[in-house]
Formats: sequence, structure tokens, C-alpha cells
Amino acid sequence: MDWGEIFGPGALVVLLSSSVAFAMPTALAAVGETVVERAGILNLGVEGMLLSGALASFLVAYYAKSVALGALAGIAIGVGLGALMAFLSVTLGTEQIINGIAIVLLAQGITAFTFEELFGGEEQPTIGGIADVDIPLLHEIPGVGPVLFEQNVLFYISVALAIAVALLLTRTRFGLSVRAVGESPAAADAAAVSVARTRWLALLIGGGMAGMGGAVLVLGQLNLFETNVSAGRGWIAVALVIFGRWNPLLVLGGAFVFGFTDALQIRVQAVSGGIASTVPTEIFAALPYVVTLIVMVAATVWAGRDAQPGALGAPFRKGVSA
Amino acid sequence: MELSVAMSGVVKRFGAVQALAGVDLELRPGEIHALLGENGAGKTTLMNVLYGMFSPDAGAISVGGREVNFRSPHDAIAAGVGMVHQHFKLVPTLTVAENMVLGQRGGPLLRRRELAAVSARLRALADRYGLDVDPDARVWQLSVGEQQRVEILRALYRDARILVLDEPTATLTPPETQRLFPKLRALAAEGASIVFITHHLEDVIEWADRITVLRRGERVGTLKPADSSAEDLARMMVGRDVRLMRVVAGEAPTAGEGRALRQRESAAPVLEVEGLQARGDRGTTALHDVSFSVAPGEILAIAGVEGNGQPELEEAVFGLRAPEAGTVTLDGRDVTRCEPAERMRLGMGLVPSDRYRRGLIRELSVAENLALDRLGRPPFGTELRLDRQAIAKHAADLIERFSIQVSGPEQLAGTLSGGNAQRLVLARTLSRELRCLVAAQPTRGLDVGAIEFVWEQLAAARDCGVAILLISTDLDEVMSMADRCCVMYRGGLVADWSRERLDREKVGLAMGGASNGGPPRAAAAAEGPV
Amino acid sequence: MSVSQAATRPLWLPPQSRRLRAGLSSLGAVLLSLVVGGVLVLIAGGEPVSAYGALIDGAFGSPYAIGQMLVLAVPLLIMGLGLALAFRGRVYNVGAEGQLFMGALAGGVVAIFLPVAFDPLLIAASIFAGMAAGAAWGGIVGVLRARWGVNEVITSLLLNFVAILIFTYCVRRPLRAPGSPDLQGRSIDPNAALPVLPDLAVHVGVFLAIALVPLAAYLMARTPFGMRVRMLGFNAEAARAAGVSSRRMVMALMLISGGLAGLAGVLQTLGVSERLDLGISQGYGFTAIVVALLGRLNATGVLLAAVFIAVLQSGGQAMSVTEGLPYAIVLAIPGVFVVFLLIADRLARG
Repeated sequence: MDWGEIFGPGALVVLLSSSVAFAMPTALAAVGETVVERAGILNLGVEGMLLSGALASFLVAYYAKSVALGALAGIAIGVGLGALMAFLSVTLGTEQIINGIAIVLLAQGITAFTFEELFGGEEQPTIGGIADVDIPLLHEIPGVGPVLFEQNVLFYISVALAIAVALLLTRTRFGLSVRAVGESPAAADAAAVSVARTRWLALLIGGGMAGMGGAVLVLGQLNLFETNVSAGRGWIAVALVIFGRWNPLLVLGGAFVFGFTDALQIRVQAVSGGIASTVPTEIFAALPYVVTLIVMVAATVWAGRDAQPGALGAPFRKGVSA
Repeated sequence: MELSVAMSGVVKRFGAVQALAGVDLELRPGEIHALLGENGAGKTTLMNVLYGMFSPDAGAISVGGREVNFRSPHDAIAAGVGMVHQHFKLVPTLTVAENMVLGQRGGPLLRRRELAAVSARLRALADRYGLDVDPDARVWQLSVGEQQRVEILRALYRDARILVLDEPTATLTPPETQRLFPKLRALAAEGASIVFITHHLEDVIEWADRITVLRRGERVGTLKPADSSAEDLARMMVGRDVRLMRVVAGEAPTAGEGRALRQRESAAPVLEVEGLQARGDRGTTALHDVSFSVAPGEILAIAGVEGNGQPELEEAVFGLRAPEAGTVTLDGRDVTRCEPAERMRLGMGLVPSDRYRRGLIRELSVAENLALDRLGRPPFGTELRLDRQAIAKHAADLIERFSIQVSGPEQLAGTLSGGNAQRLVLARTLSRELRCLVAAQPTRGLDVGAIEFVWEQLAAARDCGVAILLISTDLDEVMSMADRCCVMYRGGLVADWSRERLDREKVGLAMGGASNGGPPRAAAAAEGPV
Repeated sequence: MSVSQAATRPLWLPPQSRRLRAGLSSLGAVLLSLVVGGVLVLIAGGEPVSAYGALIDGAFGSPYAIGQMLVLAVPLLIMGLGLALAFRGRVYNVGAEGQLFMGALAGGVVAIFLPVAFDPLLIAASIFAGMAAGAAWGGIVGVLRARWGVNEVITSLLLNFVAILIFTYCVRRPLRAPGSPDLQGRSIDPNAALPVLPDLAVHVGVFLAIALVPLAAYLMARTPFGMRVRMLGFNAEAARAAGVSSRRMVMALMLISGGLAGLAGVLQTLGVSERLDLGISQGYGFTAIVVALLGRLNATGVLLAAVFIAVLQSGGQAMSVTEGLPYAIVLAIPGVFVVFLLIADRLARG
């Protein structure tokens, strides 16, 4: 295998450019999950929300031939699953870890069924890609320009959305409430902040972001759907929140580490020659997971857990005495 | 004169428990009103009703002459009621100013300018009432006294005319208490009504204009301090004459003390702690160079105001928190790195400060809870078999010996009252072979009867030669139980007094950080972290 | 009285009076899920009653059908027991799928290469290797959680992908069946293949799986270990203060549940595929989570749940052929199930 095809002068720009693009679905989901966890909910259903968003956006884009509608459908289904998670975790107050796992199992089952029901036995359906848009002037910056400013529209929207949600936490009244209910729900409640409402909203946002992540994955990157197409990106998103110390901008940064490993493994597979290859492509394919694991563990071990929201994972019930 | 608050016939039930059985309370503008009663008398519940946290099952409330029906604290705040809870309702990771903005209505954006304006208004309020606080500090960085000032400021910030303080002195040092009340007096002078909940008679007699005494959800009476003695108030509060009062007055708690004293002089210490240093949950240093030793048959009391490293000390000594430096030695053996299981095997026991979180498992039965720490060993079976009969028999025995009031050994531990829960914890811990006992806040939240029981048990264990480390924020408890006393201040130990040299006032001063009166070693420790 | 956080609710219910309500809520969730399944059948253009008829027939219609159903129940039961135990202690191992493949790989390698002519010994060695490998893979998660408090759900899940990729690499390169063009692993030594019962065509691993049920029940209810697991699940802080080493318990639970998943992997390899095969699990490691939850983290319950899910999936396969319906209907149901179960469970408690 010729490593020059991957890391050579021209190829490197392509690699970095796709790293940034591949990071986006995970980045969106991870930033959304940051908001959810800052509100004190450990949502492990991200993978299911991302997967459902991927299918919904694929179907709408396939039948309605509209990328915009597809993206909206992805967001909508994510919001719907966010509502389910909120109903289970906030309204009913059942164990959040289990709720998240249940949502992943639910989404995996339903998406597999729907996709097979519609396309079973047929050839792999695909949708058209979207053209890249060069941002005037900026894309001419050597190095950075082609990497960051020659992407498709969804990429730019995603970046804007991720940053907007990050700012939501620090610069809005709602963000203040989110931080309060995640850290000390009893105190927030006493200050007349509705813990349930805040957590519901956070989950709707988190679900929508994960659904949007699925849409970006399908519409902007793969142009097709297959069973379990999310391939663990939702779980990686949850890990990135820990890695990013619950700080949305650090989480966003962490997503690019994942994007790089993902882009790398895809390049390796592409140039290595498929199933007969002597290159252990599986090792590269495992890279995104292994690297995510390592950085998450490293963040936990060295930085400790003091950045973790104080009430993460604990249901809150108003008026229950200690 | 128009009343600022009139509550009449307020009833509140929680399930089968009647917390308030038709209570009346009247507040006048400009008065400081004390609400006196034992734990469980319904004081806090009554105030939570006034603050809109609970809606009453019956009764009427009017504020400023208008009938009100608060559905949430929000309504109460709007009507000018402010409350300072005993456990402050502040979000520790937010700044003081952010805590003020939290829950306030307004536009969606939170602008820097708005926060700056809030800070400015806070500074003005703080200056006016002498409640100095930095509005831009994060709450977790503040001392308990400062946090209380933040809570009062928050009520004033929200234009409260009626200020409720739940146990305001429980977490303050005596000097801080002395500073608090004049500030409240100044507030009242401007026409505010102030209610404070307490079970400390001294506070009431010294500072209240009127006193309402509650017992078991009923109002016993309302009177002026001038018209009653401490003994009268105590009798009204408890409903009978109280032996406890003599203990509080500092008389010898047990007859065995002389014997214990003699034992101590010759014996080597059981528990030795040297240079212990540990971090708190937020990563800041919570314990700094803590050293002490406890001899067999001795109670070493660690006095101090809440928030000075007590939980960390409890955890580090028992092995629930890994120290960064220092050693813990038990009967000459270094156990610094040992898990609690190993320490327990060597004779250490713990009465944890949070009995529901650490002391028992709510979902298990009383019988199972009494055997938690001795599974897998005879007579409770082996590692391969749990002997349920032996567990039940053991439970029946301890339930009787420690007078735990239960419907049966199968009752779930989570349904026990505070006093019975503590009896359960004591029964389990004291029925082990003990060399050393760590008792942290052992009477917190208990009523008088339960407190007496706990003290008797601790004294009995001490007389049997157990070395007891008593970590307590209750000055009465320290004064009546300690054979020796150290004071904990900002993570370090200040002062070290033997019982003979123990003086309530000196301890109180030391709790506030004044490092006079202690022997040289302790004085050096006081120079510790600030 | 003050407002405060409620303790996180435990998943399973204490015995005695609530057992009936728990059973009823499980049953309710089952019925609701079957209704949803019926709706899915309608959507797919089928007819629910005849579809369920075909499903039952597909699971029980012949000795062979029953056998196929039991073969499917074996890994679900074995892993379900391990997960039920771990979940009781609030150790949420969702890595059974990866642990299964690591078990299959290690057990398979022994069964391919170990030069032992005596069948029982070879089988025992293979099983041991598989359990050890599954336990080791779970142990990684255990160490991370016990030593540094790293969330075990995320680590165990991510390790699934890694395990499957390792397995894929092995069957693609070093352990590929000689001459095979695609991802087909080497066959095991015929001596290592598990004996198969006549008619039913079930490998003898089914007896091992069934024998594990009373063993697990005893472990959970009658031993100090089982009690400590419950303590850990209810209140880890109090358990620690009462001398239970949570680190050791977390390790033990990850090793046991991982080891059992590894065992499931070996049995699939020695009893079903008889070669290293990526097809030995259709996400059984995840289905086992449903089994554990549906079974209320209780050994007998897990047995019933494993059989129920196996009937659904095995019968569903037959149904999809005879009724011309997508097999994915059957895959959709367990997820629906868990959600209904959580709601029913909560409502049953009032």
C-alpha cells in the first residue's frame, strides 16, 4: 500500500477536508448531548436518535428529492425520540441508562424494519450528493481554505448550529437554567426554575441535534442508508462529551479527532484493495473506536470528574423529602 | 397595626403523617419572630407552606392583609416572601450574580450587561445592610457564612418584606451569629418581618421579639421572651422535663468518666492520624495537615462549623476517600491504603454523617441492614450460603437491645424515622468488635429522646475502652461528650483542649478561626490553608 | 421536609407483594408489543392472525423447529443470566456482543489447533479458553470502571466494534478457511463439535444453559455475593461503608457477565457454526439485554424471557418465509418491548 496516497502533499488536504466533514455528524450529536448532560440527564439513546435521523432524512430526501426537507425530517425524528427519552427519564423518572439503551434498541429495530420493508431485496438505493460551496476569499487561504471552506451547505449549517448551541449554554437564560438543574436541581427548583421543563427542553434539543447528525451523515456524506449506518457514532458522541469535559466547544474539538480517524480508515480501505488486501484494514477501521476510548479514558483518569454536572443521571422528584 | 402575615388553621399531611395539625401564626411588621420546636415539630413545614413549596391541605394564609393561595415559591416571592433554607438553595457552580438571575423572568438572552447591573445592585444592597459578598465569586468558593449572606441578599434582591430563615444559626459560629442578628434587626427596623426557625433557646431569648413554640404539628403558644424562662420554653418544646438540659449545661455525662480517664493515661493511642491531606469533590484541598490521636476509652471531639472539611475527614479516616498525603494508623498498623472492609476487620467502625446515604440501604429490610457488614462469616452462614434464620435471630436481638421501633425485622429500612434509622446504624456498628469508632454528626436531625439515646450509647462504648472520634458541628454535643476537643477550621485542626480546659466560648471563637487558646502544635496547624 | 433528589429507582422489584404486579406489567408489555408487531405486519401487507399462527408454527411446528428455537434460546439465556446479575449491581455491561465474539475466537482457535484427541477434554479446553477470553474482554471494562470510574456503558459498547473487527480480521486473513474466497473462518476439529440430540438437532450446550438457571438463582438469592450485588445496586455508598469493596464487585460482575458471553460464543462455534463464523450472532448480545430486563433480572424470569424471544425470532424467521413478510418485523419488536416494559414497570409501581 502506498502511504503517499494518503499522506502525500495533495492527498493530505483531501484527508483533512474529509476529516472535518466526517466529524460533523458526531459533532452535532455530541454538542447536543453536552446540553442534555449539563441539564443532568445521561442520554445514552444518542445512537438511536442519530440512526433514526439518518433513516428519516434518507427516506424524505429519496422520495421528496429535497435535501432541506430531508434534514428537517431527521431533526424531527430526533426531537421525537428526545421526547420519548424525556417522558421516560423526566416524567416517569426511570433509570436513565436503561432508557437510553432501550431507545437504541428501539431505533435499531424500527429502522431495520422500515428500511427492509421499503427496499428489501432491491438494489442499494442512493440519493444524489450535494455540491460543495466555496466560500469566497476564505477558501483561497492556503491549507486551511480547501479544508474548511470548500464544504457543502450542510457542513456550514452544522458548524453554525453547533456553535449556536454551545452559546446557548453560556449566553441565554435557558442555558443558565440548564446549568443549574444539572448541577443542583433542588436549588434550581427553589429559585422557581422548572426542573422538568428545562430537562425536557434540553432533551428535545439534544434529540434534534442527534437527528440532524444522522441527516448530515446520510445527506452530506454517504448518500445512502444501510442497517446500523450510524456505526456507533452516537456512542462516540457520548464519549466525546466526557472527553470534552462537558464544555461544548471542547466537545466540538474532540469530534474532529474522531473525524480524522474516520477519514483515515476510509482512505486506507479505499487504497488498500479490498477483501484480499494484506493490509489489516480492520485495525484502521477500529481506530475511531479505539482512539475515542483512549481519549475518553485519558480525560477521566487525568482530569478527574470534577467537571461532571453534579446531578448527572439522578432523577429529580419535586417535594420528596430527604 | 396591620399584620404582615396571618396563617390560620394550617393543616398539612404527608401520606399518613400529619405534619401540621391546624397551626396559627401571626407576623407583625418590624418584628423578629422565633419559631421554636424540636425536630419534626413542623416548623420547616409551616414555613415551606408560607413559601409556596407545599400547598396546605386546609387553612388560610394572608399576606399584607390579602388572602393568598401560593402554588409555587414564585407566587410567594412575588408577594414579598423570601426564604433562606437551612441547606442553602444555591447552585455552587454559578456565580452569586447568576444565582440571583436564575429563575427570574426576562428576555431569552443573558447579556453581560445585565449580569453587571445585577452585580452593581447586589453591591449596593450589601453595603446598605452590611452583608459583604463578592457578586462575581462562584458560590462553592464561599464560606458557609458568606453563602448565608448571599441567601439573605437574594431575598432582599427580590424585594422580600417577609424574610424566613430556617435554622440560620445551625451552620454559623457563635461570633458569626452575633454578627447576623444585628443585621436582621436593622432589616426589621425598616419594617420587614423576620421569622427564624430554631431549637436553640439562647438565640430565641437573646434576639426574638416574640416566640411561637410548635410541638408535633401544633402550636403550643406564642409569647414574649421577657415573659418566660429557658426552662419554660424547653418544657413547652418537648412536652416534659428534660434531663438533656443538665447535660447541655456541661455536667458529667456518665459516671464512668473517672475510670476512663485513668485508662487513657497509660494506654497507647488506638487511632493515630498524621499529616492527613485530602481533596474535596471539587478538587480543592479539603484537609490540610490534620494530625491527632485517640486513646482507648477516650472521646476526641472534632468541633467546627459545617463546610470546614468534616465529611472529608470522616471519609479519609474510614477509607472512603483516598488521602493525598499523611497516614492513618490503627493500633500501630498503617491502614492508610486499606479499604473500609480491612479497617473494619481491624476493629474500626463508622456512624456516618449521612445515615440514609451511607448508613443503611432503604430498599433492604431492617434485618438485612443489621447484617450488612457481617455476611459470609459464621454465624451468618458461609460465602456459599446466606443463613437467613441467623440473620433474623440476630436482628430480633439487636432490635430489642437498641429499642428500634419497627413493625418487624422485615420492615424496609427506608421507612424508619430518623431516630430509629440512627438506632439501626448504631446497633449494627456497636455490635461489632470495636477498637475505634468514627461517629460523624451522630445526632443531627434527631429529636431529644433519640439524642439522649445516642449519647448514652457513645458514652457506654467509650467506657468499654473504644476510642471514639466524634465529628460534630453541634457545640452542645461537643461540650457534653468530649474528653478532648479539637476544632476544625478550613480543613485544618485548630486548638486541642482536654476536658478540664474546655470552655464553650473559646471553642466558639476557635470555630470561627480565632486561633487563641490552643497549645502550640494546634496553633501551628491554624496557620494552614486559607 | 425539603425538596431533594429521589434515589435512582432500582430496576427490579423487591419480592413478595409486588411480584405479582411486576409479573402483570411484564405480561402487559408483552401483549402491547405483540399488538405493535401485529400493526407492523399490517403495514407490511400481511395478516396479523395468520402471521402469528405461522410464527408459532415456525417455533413449535416440528421437533426440528423446536430444536432451532432452543438453539437460539441458548446464547440468549446464558448471556441474559450474566447481564441480569451485572445489572442488579448496576454494572451496565452492554458489551456482551463483543465478549461473545472474543469467546468464539479464543474457543475456536483452541478447537482448531489444540492437538487433543479426547473429545471432552478438547471441548472443555475450548470452553475454558472462550470463557476466559470473554471475561478478559469484559475485564477491560471492569478495570476502567473500578479503577477510574470510566462509564462502563460507553466502554463496553465501543469495545464491541473493536472485538468484531478483530474477529473479522482473523477470519479474513490468518484464520480464513483454506481456499475460501470470502469471509469464512476455518472449521473446528470435528472432535470439538458438540454432540447433537437426534430429532431436535440441538447441541448439548442447551443442558449447560439450563443448568445455569438454578445456579444463578442460588447465587443471586442465597449467597453473600448475591446480597452484595443487591447492596451495590441499591446504594453503592452504603455498601462500601459496610465493607463491600465496590471495585472488586464491579470487576467480578464484569468478569462473570463477560465470561458467560464468552461461553455463549464458544457454544455457538462448537455447536452451531462449527467454524469461525461472523454469523454466529445476529446481535444476540443486545437481544440478551432485552432478555435480562424482560426477565426482571431474575434467573427464572430470564429463562422465560429467553424462550419467549427465541420463539419470536426463530418463529419469525419461518413466518417471514411462509407469509412473505420482512424478517425485520421480528427485529423491531424487542426494542418496542423494552420501552413498553419500562413504562409498564413504572406504572405498576404507581
